[in-house]
Amino acid sequence: MYGWIWRHLPGNAWVKALLSLLLVLVVVYVLFQYVFPWAEPLLPFNDVTVDGQ
Amino acid sequence: MSVRAVVRTFSELCITVGTLIVLFVVYVLFWTGVKADRAMDSQIDQLQDQWARGSVAARTDEGPTNASPPKPAPYRDGKPFAVMYVPRFGFTWNKPVLQGTATGTLKKGLGHYARTAQLGQQGNFAVAGHRRTYGDPFKDFPELRPGDAVVLTDGTTWFTYRIDKKPYRTLPADTGVIDPVPRASGYREPGRYLTLTTCDPEWGHSHRLIAWAHLDATQPVEQGKPAALRR
Repeated sequence: MYGWIWRHLPGNAWVKALLSLLLVLVVVYVLFQYVFPWAEPLLPFNDVTVDGQ
Repeated sequence: MSVRAVVRTFSELCITVGTLIVLFVVYVLFWTGVKADRAMDSQIDQLQDQWARGSVAARTDEGPTNASPPKPAPYRDGKPFAVMYVPRFGFTWNKPVLQGTATGTLKKGLGHYARTAQLGQQGNFAVAGHRRTYGDPFKDFPELRPGDAVVLTDGTTWFTYRIDKKPYRTLPADTGVIDPVPRASGYREPGRYLTLTTCDPEWGHSHRLIAWAHLDATQPVEQGKPAALRR
């Protein structure tokens, strides 16, 4: 999977490395901004009230 | 597909899942705290702006300790209306109190149960807060002891409540704990009470921890901070 991505990135090794780093940053950003905020309420840390919500 | 490719893809998947889990833990333990601290600071700033603009009516009465403070305007849902100080949680511990206990509200501060009394009024002023994540506001909840002060201000008055019992552990469905006179609290007569709720165990949601306090003293903000907040 990662080998496949590496092979399909353009440029020489340096460009590839830079692009990979950018890809990783984009993935982390999407995770922190959208995916984790969605997943977090599924965990029990939000249940602090007694009205049975 | 060769065995090699299958094994390689499988290991890559395992590494990816592992990384995801680590990132998620970082998000829950660390990033929610960063976000919440920012949100809470901005809520307190909002309040202080509001108070500085003088949208709260100035008062002159300096009645006895238990004189009823004037009835505040109805709180607006999701908006901050007070700041809470609990010296037991640390001298610099202060959090905004927002109206309502919606999930989004509790990410920005402590939440006031909408159907309970207003701050300082006759009845039970009940507030919920996160034990863990989102800045861990009530992390040290079990440390509360009888006599501990819980101080709140709404911009015109300081309200000093005193804890009466060690934190009480109950089930999530036990809504009686935020009644005007909670049965398990030991209070028998109507009064001006405060209830704090959070989750228990620390990272779980099977129980709730409850702390009760009664209104001990009030003083106008012009008289400076109450004794409980002075070092």
